[in-house]
Amino acid sequence: MTRSSMAQFPAAAADGPASEAAQLSAPPESEVTVSVEDVHVCYRVYDDPETGLKQIVAGGRRRRRFRTIRALRGVGFDLRRGETLGVIGPNGSGKSTLLAAMSGLLPLESGRIRGRSRPALLGVSAALRPSLSGRRNIVIGGLALGMTREEVRGRLDEIADFAGLGDFLDLPMRTYSSGMRARLLFAIATVRIPEVLLIDEALAVGDQQFRNRSRRRIDEIRASAGSVVLVTHDLNEVTDGCDRAIWLDAGVIRAQGDPAEVAAAYESSVGPA
Amino acid sequence: MTDGDDGPPLVDLTVPPSISDYLRDVWRRREFAVVVPAQDLRALNMDTALGQLWHLVNPALMVGVYFLIFGVILDARAGVDNYLGFLVVGVVVFHLTQRIVQDAAVSLSRNEGLIRSIQFPRILLPLSTVNGQTLGFLPALAVAAVTLLATGEVPGWRWPVMAAVLVGQYMFNLGAALITARLGAVVRDVNQILPHVFRLLFYISGVLFSVEAFVTDETWRALFALNPIYDVITCARWCLLGDSAPAPVVVGFVVWSLVLAVCGFVVFSRAERSFGR
Repeated sequence: MTRSSMAQFPAAAADGPASEAAQLSAPPESEVTVSVEDVHVCYRVYDDPETGLKQIVAGGRRRRRFRTIRALRGVGFDLRRGETLGVIGPNGSGKSTLLAAMSGLLPLESGRIRGRSRPALLGVSAALRPSLSGRRNIVIGGLALGMTREEVRGRLDEIADFAGLGDFLDLPMRTYSSGMRARLLFAIATVRIPEVLLIDEALAVGDQQFRNRSRRRIDEIRASAGSVVLVTHDLNEVTDGCDRAIWLDAGVIRAQGDPAEVAAAYESSVGPA
Repeated sequence: MTDGDDGPPLVDLTVPPSISDYLRDVWRRREFAVVVPAQDLRALNMDTALGQLWHLVNPALMVGVYFLIFGVILDARAGVDNYLGFLVVGVVVFHLTQRIVQDAAVSLSRNEGLIRSIQFPRILLPLSTVNGQTLGFLPALAVAAVTLLATGEVPGWRWPVMAAVLVGQYMFNLGAALITARLGAVVRDVNQILPHVFRLLFYISGVLFSVEAFVTDETWRALFALNPIYDVITCARWCLLGDSAPAPVVVGFVVWSLVLAVCGFVVFSRAERSFGR
């Protein structure tokens, strides 16, 4: 099941002291919520060379060129029930691509992702309308997440309470402070909890009180036997809040296992702050 | 933790859903494609003095301008008894299709953030465009009805048939919207071309003048019947103004509606997974 990730393990062993036990003991299938198997993802982007008059005159045939960026190059791991997996790595290492591939937003070049239900990214901000009120945005966000209008209306007070909007509920969202907006986004995004929740740096917003509140919400998700994948640059978040960690680098897993060990290995490779 | 298989088995999530699963998902989320465009319609005029009244004032002004230029100054009224009624039906019906098709071309690029963050059937985006513009068209239709009554038209048994014409036009618009949505996602240049296409269509669809009166050659009339927008406008005028609707025009309208709806769905769904890359 984890053939591919084990194939990469020698490279990881050379670089960091990631725990071998976590890697080598494959969990029984009933304990797995998502199985990521040797996933490759490529982006095709236009190369954008200088096309001034000089180039047109000089170059006989002008053609657009594609460049392929291999964002993930054989990533594999199993996500277990009730587990929070931290994903760390430098910018451009493929962390967000991994989440997008898991949620079905990006087609795979090769490999396979199996699961009991479709993992979902935490986030609805793109669906919301700043000129409309918080109340209307709660409905819009809920519908975008696949709820019915009836379901959203039933949960409206709960969402508004969690976001702590108070009197602002019927004011346009663009009048909200950034903290208030962040709370509303989180409250809407977590109203429908998928079995597997993917979070991309979402906890870095809001004040301390709200961060605690959102942390509790994530604990609730884990308690209901779901799993969480958390992409972050905050290594403390990984060592404190995650059961396991993956270090991605240039589209491959450099190390995975105990969060403290993986974080330490990553930190030492990056160099002292 | 519980042991044994207490949940559904692991299934391959990278396999695209079947057409029936896809349509079921669309149906389950149908409220999205109605509520969200309705809210956007509200938001459109929220900061204006006239507010939601603009949905009525706008089509009235548009028809007024065309009447001034083509009815009074250039006098294109030949062969038309009730030119203002003739004009209002043509203009509102034409603009519904124009706005849908042009708006659909940017429906995916405008919602790129949504496409990149939430998994849902992408057809909901052009569908939202069609629904939103159709909702926004209802006040214009009311303006048309008032204009017809004010210019002496008497509602007869043909008026309710307009509902069937609207259903046909909805299908036609949806099919066209799905095609331009996909085109617009692949080639952004489509947004630049479409206004010109519609300007041409505006003048060859008999919006401003009676094709019956100006075009006497049978071959040319047959070619006009191939133009789906001319077909729908003619059918609408048959319902509301008691104009004649030649058989080729009615057949053309029905065939265009069915063919475009099916083709649009096929064209769009084939590219479903490529959007937002």
